[in-house]
Formats: sequence, C-alpha cells, structure tokens
Amino acid sequence: MQRALVGAALLAVILGLFGVFMVPRKLSFMADGIAHASLFGIAVGLLVGGMPLLWAIGLAAILGCFLAKISDNESIPMDAVIGICLVGGMSGALITMTFIPGYKPELFSYLFGSILGIEWGDIYILGTLTVVTLVMFKLQWRTLVITTIHNDLSKVLGLKANTAKYFLFIGTSIALIGGVKLLGVILISALLVIPYSSASLIGKSLKSCVILTQIIAVAGTIVGIFISYIFDFPTGPAIGLLLVAIYILSATYAKIRSQPIWKSQHTPSD
Amino acid sequence: MTSKVFSSQANIIECEEITVIRDNKEILCAASCCVPRNSLTFLVGENGTGKTTLVQTMLGILPQREGKISVHSLNREKVNIGYVPQSIEFPKQLQLTVAEYLRYVSNLDTEDIHNSLKTVDFPLSHLRKTINQLSGGQRQKLLLAAELSRKPDILFLDEPLSNVDDTGEKHILDVILEIKNKGVTIILITHDWQMVSTYADHVICLNKNFLCEQGTSCICKNSLSKVNIKQIQKITPDPLNTHDGYCYIENV
Repeated sequence: MQRALVGAALLAVILGLFGVFMVPRKLSFMADGIAHASLFGIAVGLLVGGMPLLWAIGLAAILGCFLAKISDNESIPMDAVIGICLVGGMSGALITMTFIPGYKPELFSYLFGSILGIEWGDIYILGTLTVVTLVMFKLQWRTLVITTIHNDLSKVLGLKANTAKYFLFIGTSIALIGGVKLLGVILISALLVIPYSSASLIGKSLKSCVILTQIIAVAGTIVGIFISYIFDFPTGPAIGLLLVAIYILSATYAKIRSQPIWKSQHTPSD
Repeated sequence: MTSKVFSSQANIIECEEITVIRDNKEILCAASCCVPRNSLTFLVGENGTGKTTLVQTMLGILPQREGKISVHSLNREKVNIGYVPQSIEFPKQLQLTVAEYLRYVSNLDTEDIHNSLKTVDFPLSHLRKTINQLSGGQRQKLLLAAELSRKPDILFLDEPLSNVDDTGEKHILDVILEIKNKGVTIILITHDWQMVSTYADHVICLNKNFLCEQGTSCICKNSLSKVNIKQIQKITPDPLNTHDGYCYIENV
C-alpha cells in the first residue's frame, strides 16, 4: 500500500505535467496509441524472457521519437498515424502471444494494472524518472509554452524548439509506460488527459491550471487507491472512474460559472 | 536575373536569388530584394504570391533551397528581430493570461508589461484575462506589444491592421511610425495601397503571374517616390496585362 501510494503520486506528478502540453496540442490520443502499441514490447519481453517493461519503454521511446519527427509535417495527419501505431502494436502483441506457451497471467496485469505488483525497485526508477522529468521541465518550460502557442514564434525568439518537442514526445511515451503497472495499458491515458482537461475548465491562468492539474492528478490517484482498497475494487478502474467524476464536476462548475447570473455577481467592478 | 551590388551599410537585409519550395511547390524562384536600414518597407502583392513565405524565409522559419539571405548589423551585436504574424490560433485549452503571455515572450516585469500595453493602447484591465477572451483586434495589439517590448532592430508585421478597428488602426500606425523614428526597421505586409502610398520608404512587390510565367524572378526592388507608388496603385487592378510594369519599377 505504501509503495503503491508513493508510486502513484510520482506518476501523477509527471503525467499531469506532460498533460499540460499534450492536451492543448490535441495530442491526447497519443497516450492511448503509445500505451497500446507498447504492448508489443511487453509481449516480446515475455517471449524472450527479459524485463517486459524495458522492451516496452524502448518501443515507446522509438515511437515517441518517430511521432515527434513527423509532427511538424502538416501533410501527415497525426491522429491517423497514432491510430496506425496502435493497431500495429496491438496486432503485433497478439501475434507474438501465440508463440508463448501456457497461460500468461502477467499479461493481464499489464493490460489492467496491478498496483500491488509495484516494488521498491520500481519506486526508485520512478523517483529517478520524476527528478529527471522535473529538471527537464524547468529547463524547457518557456520553450514548451511558446511552441504550444506558435511554433514560428519560438524560432524567432531563438529557442530550441526541437529539443523541447523531442523531450515532450519521448518523455510522455516513457512516462506512460512507467505507469502501466499502476493503471494498465488500457487506462493509463487517464492520468495524462483528465487532470489537465479538468483543470483547464476551472483555472483562470496557466499557472493556476498547472497547480490544479497536480492537485487533481495526485488526489485522484491516492483517493482512488483508497477507494479500491476499501471497496475491494480493481485499482486502475477506481482511479479512472474517480478522475472521470472530477472531470464531470469541473465541466458542470465551468458551465454554471459561464451563466450570466453568476457572471454578473462575480465580475470585478473594473 | 541581373545581379545587384548590395550595400551592407545601407541595407539591413539582403536576399540574393533565393528559391523557396513549400509543399513541393515553388513559391519564390531566384528572388532578390533588399530592405534599407531604418526604413518602413512594405511588402505587397496579391494573395498567394508568397509575401508571408518571403517574410518567414527572411526570419529563418522556412529554409531556402538556393540563394543567400544576409542580415547586417552595424556593430558586432546580433540583430534582434521581432515578428507579429497575421494571426495566432491560440490553443483554447491553454489558459494563458495576457500577463503570462508577455512574461513568457518577453521576460518582462510588471512595470514593463504595463508600459508595453500602454504603448499599443491595450486596456490594462484585461491583464488577467485569458487570451481566448480577447477580440481579434485586442490579440493583434497584444502580439505587437509583446514584440515591441523585446526592443527589436527589425520588426516584421504580417497584416497587423487586419482585425483592428479604425481608431486602433490609426493608433497602431502612429506607434509604427514612432518606433521607425527611433531607428527600428519595419517590414510590413499589407493590401492597403493607400497606406503604401502614404507611408512607404521602400516597396517590395510580389507578382504571382510573373513568377508562374517567367520562373526567374518574382520580386522587384524599388526605391520609389510617393508619386511612383501611386502609379503602381493605378495599374494593380489589371495585373495580368501590366505585371512587367509593376514588377520592375526601379530607382525612379
């Protein structure tokens, strides 16, 4: 339980931060694409007997690099390419599975997550990943914000847009696979997409949205783990459903706030 | 195309026979032009002639396949360049406020933010609004304020008045003339010939027909008096028959 809480909090922090830039860039689908495609890496790992997650991380990094490379090409539809990666990865995984003899219960833990499977070794790896990610965000934050607004502007300002882009794509891909043990391939995109999507409905500035994203992501995962523990629900779906509930509440609040009556009561006199 | 001897003292930007290909289509072909230092240079031409492409190539956003672009500094310091695009589609989910935008683009403190917004007559009460809550004209003013605050040596403006009302237009024009008088070189894309004939120091014309048919050059180098600019204005309604005339009016 202790390991699960620490691991979940670390993952929530980094995936929430990546979501701040992936969601406004309309790249939410990439989370699903990468996570599903990485199943092929997991299947290969199970087949050859190595560490399945390392294979998945390798594959995710390659896919992230590839998607970053093509992202500037306006003639290539990103969502279609991500969809192709998803289909290719899943199909490759299922075909590879046919070569593995016997029943493979690990596969289900990768598909749906297995929070109790997290060990201290995983926490150390996640901790290192979190520190590296936070340092990179600190260095690349301005460039990421400006490239999210307008790529050309970053070039005029002399910012290294490509470094920021590759960090975002490859970092997101690796972080997603880092969370596969927690939420599973199927639900991991929830941590990337929902916290910022909810925060952007409530927040009134980028800074407030980033803070709210972190609160929603960390609180959502930790409370989700407690709910799953108390009611004996599977952890991944418990966290996923809680995040969806937070999104619905945020959307409802945003809708109410946009009503003329509310506005007239709360608009500053200036 | 006749080769020209450029002067790095007189010209801040020189493009020599540049060819730019975009989406497998040749937009500029062996095009040459120069931008005189401390001038208000207008970039004119019909839609699709490559005005924005030329600006983005000068800025280094687009690569040129052939040719050379030189930006000359009078001292050894790097030339600081500003760019206000025609419009920016701000992502709706990035809840960036006006103050945050200015901080990210220009690294300004609060006092400088206020000053730059006052310069373009942007209401300070909107400072905490998100950019998505602004009108098109207000966004245009914000983009200009951000670039002005970076104190550029050269400022590229891509149709800066397209979303601005009459009062705002007058104010922005005054601001442009004021910063030009302070020594900033301004390159402005416009379709407004009235403005060109009134304010231009230098005009670069792009002609789609000339580019397509001749395939050798698409830009004319002009150092026009205001009278000549008015002559250009007269012939533009029928560019098919007169493109040679308005592409190559030089040093008159």
